[in-house]
Amino acid sequence: MTAVFARHGFPIAIGAIAAAFLGLFFLYPVLSVFGASVLDPTGTAFTWRNYAVVLSSPFFLQALGNSLVVAAAATALAILLGVPFAFCVARLAVAGKSALLALAALPLVLPSFVSAYALVLMFGRAGIVTGALRAVGLPFESIYGLKGIVVAYTLTLYPYVVLPAVAAFKSIDASVEEAAQNLGAPRGRTLRTVILPLALPSILAGGLLVFIEALENFGVPFVLAEDTPILAVEAFKLFVGETADNPASAGVLGVLLIACTVIALLAQRAALARRRYATMARRPAPLLAVSPSLRRLAGIYCWALVGAALVPFAAVVVISFLAFKGPVLQYAFSLGNFAELFQRSYRPLANTVMLSLAAAAGATLIGVPIGYVIVRRRSRLSALLDVVATAPFAVAGTVLGIGLILAYGRGYLILTGTALIMIVAYVVRKLPFSVRAASAILHQIDPSLEEASINLGVAPLPTFLRVTVPLMLGGIVGGSVLVFVTVASELSSTVVLYSGAWTTMTVAMFQALEGTSAGVAAAAATVLIIVTILPVALVYRLLRRYELSAL
Amino acid sequence: MTAITIDGVARSFGEVRAVDGVSLVIRDGEFFTLLGPSGCGKTTLLRMVAGFCELDRGRILFGERRVDTVAPHRRNTGMVFQNYAVFPNLDVGGNVAYGLKARKLAREEIAGKAERALKLVRLDGFARRWPHQLSGGQLQRVAIARAVAIEPDVLLLDEPLSNLDAKLRVEMRGEIRALQRTLGITVIYVTHDQEEALAISDRIAVMRAGRVEQVDAPRVIYEAPANGFVAGFVGATNLLRGVVVRRDGEVADVLVGATTLRARLPRQMSLDRVALSLRPEALRLIADGDAPPPGWRVLSGTLEDVEYLGALTRFTVRLADGTPLSVMALTPPVASGEVAVAYDPARVVVLEDKA
Repeated sequence: MTAVFARHGFPIAIGAIAAAFLGLFFLYPVLSVFGASVLDPTGTAFTWRNYAVVLSSPFFLQALGNSLVVAAAATALAILLGVPFAFCVARLAVAGKSALLALAALPLVLPSFVSAYALVLMFGRAGIVTGALRAVGLPFESIYGLKGIVVAYTLTLYPYVVLPAVAAFKSIDASVEEAAQNLGAPRGRTLRTVILPLALPSILAGGLLVFIEALENFGVPFVLAEDTPILAVEAFKLFVGETADNPASAGVLGVLLIACTVIALLAQRAALARRRYATMARRPAPLLAVSPSLRRLAGIYCWALVGAALVPFAAVVVISFLAFKGPVLQYAFSLGNFAELFQRSYRPLANTVMLSLAAAAGATLIGVPIGYVIVRRRSRLSALLDVVATAPFAVAGTVLGIGLILAYGRGYLILTGTALIMIVAYVVRKLPFSVRAASAILHQIDPSLEEASINLGVAPLPTFLRVTVPLMLGGIVGGSVLVFVTVASELSSTVVLYSGAWTTMTVAMFQALEGTSAGVAAAAATVLIIVTILPVALVYRLLRRYELSAL
Repeated sequence: MTAITIDGVARSFGEVRAVDGVSLVIRDGEFFTLLGPSGCGKTTLLRMVAGFCELDRGRILFGERRVDTVAPHRRNTGMVFQNYAVFPNLDVGGNVAYGLKARKLAREEIAGKAERALKLVRLDGFARRWPHQLSGGQLQRVAIARAVAIEPDVLLLDEPLSNLDAKLRVEMRGEIRALQRTLGITVIYVTHDQEEALAISDRIAVMRAGRVEQVDAPRVIYEAPANGFVAGFVGATNLLRGVVVRRDGEVADVLVGATTLRARLPRQMSLDRVALSLRPEALRLIADGDAPPPGWRVLSGTLEDVEYLGALTRFTVRLADGTPLSVMALTPPVASGEVAVAYDPARVVVLEDKA
């Protein structure tokens, strides 16, 4: 037994900590959601009736349908737009390539509902563009509804496809392409029969992220859906409903959401089961020689896509510096929106920074050892750990938030209303991120470095601290920053869990949206953009090295 | 400087018996090589000595001290890894001093020993360089300096030359051998390159499928291989299976296909079915009219192929019964058609035919 522990002690210890944390704050809350969905109104007897009620309601069925349609459409569009973009960046001499890649990744760290809000400001009923179009006599229907949501998702989520696809295109060895051409395949055929199939697993992996993100997102449909029912929003409304809260029906919607993501995950696994390509380019494929006009066209396409994705954010920033008279925009520079925002309170900004820091620290402290065990101590235990630590991906933020309140709103451990419950939710949600960042960087560190240190007389734990951690530092910092910025722009679990004292920047903006203070909302959005872009810019060189592999 | 006893060690990974009951005694100050094809267990065995691979059974001793139960960082072995494993976040001096610092030596002592180790591998003056500024050969020297700086009981080298180009490989192996003689240190060296093993070792253990096939000095391994595997793996050979048809004291006639060869048969060997190993360079093509050296016997065949290798030429001769023979000679190609091949029965190695 002692020998077993010596060989497996570290993985067992890490596994136990991870199991305790995820068991308490992930599995138990998710089970609570499931539990709520199968209890009768008195909360004591088991029943499937709640499912019958929800699934026989045309309104909720429509919500389910809408959610799936929106997610599928956004995934398809993100792939359709993202793959050509990735190919151009990877294989053509497009102008400003490294800037393109940096800007393309940007929407991932920016709050997506800010982009949605910008769409409203520009194309909404009283939108700037809508008004301008009407003024010249062009009829323009507003952006609200499914189409608006799909546009917002596509523009903010396409980087999930672009980043792995660029990596995949670059990792195909030049000889593969040369072999195809040597055997008589013209360029187009080579692309269709060799290059695209080889990149397909990465493209589908990115597509899955788009699908899951689009399904679980709360902010974008909240801003753009109006009366169109969307699953993630309806679950929230049912749970904190103004008339009567209904945890049973909210639970059913939560379970439906989880089921959708799990099915998507399994479908992707099944599609990729027989496609495992070891891709490590010894000699990366060279840039393709194409005619200057084609190259210019590719450049225009790439910059147009990046521009379209970033224009909404830029628009919000510009608008936040303009004066508002009530809800009406005046074309004059003003800091009034910011004054009004901070007149209310500085707390949201401080809260956002504090909660994000705590979440980044927590996710890193738990995630890095898990990543280490998964990569360095391969066993059945570590494989299980890998699955469990990735599972939070499949659970929507709203659903996790509801689960945490169901689990810790009463009983022995009451956490609702505290900062702790928010931090816990963030750590659970971002854990897959830090685990992947850690394992990605570890894959690049040769294990013999650690063995060399031990061989020279340094015990395993000091070796981990003196050799492994310094070498991982770039990846760890990069991963922590990504956790920080994505938590700073998080809304879906925050909106369920926040309490007055712990209002965040995202909530402040959310509240401003519910009211009529468009200017304050824009100012809050600008502050959020700064909070997320600043740390990313600071460690950009680190991120460039690791973000691709972290995805 | 220590003798090493490896006693009945074994380790399985799932169904695979990586090391399957190996016992070896490595003498104090010996340059000992583990040689074998990939997957034969040589690296696993080396990692067992270093402590990176646990034993299912068996023992390992340094001198009288049992070490297989000792944690790897307390074994005092100096290991040189195949990919060097030079810490990229430390400069050359930091790498070499790493193990000395772990031993909590005084600062002046560390500086002195690190400097001496660098001088030993002819890298004096490189202490402040960074690993990414060094060539492959220089990284190799840093790895060696780092391993010998701690004055280990045994120096372990895991295919240390496989990442270097051919010319540097020959140069470095000479340096490693010279270093070992200077320090008088016990070395265990792992390689799959038989020429390297022959050139550098005091003794070689040839391994296959987790077992040791033969342990001997290089010359014995080459000239008196214990079995067909060793004969084939170390150097090239013509391995012919046959039946003993006549036996007269030490001299026997062996029927291979339809050809009869004469060989010296070890007394203790009583088997009828044998395998013959004829080294290509021990065979000689005989020009028309020339007499073979005294005591040699002649086979006739057809010259099928000639490969010009620069210093040597390889001829492939097919005997009348269809058996191909490979012959190496210094002479450039002259012959064609029907040729005669002469061999010395004293240099034919008779092996058990393990089917």
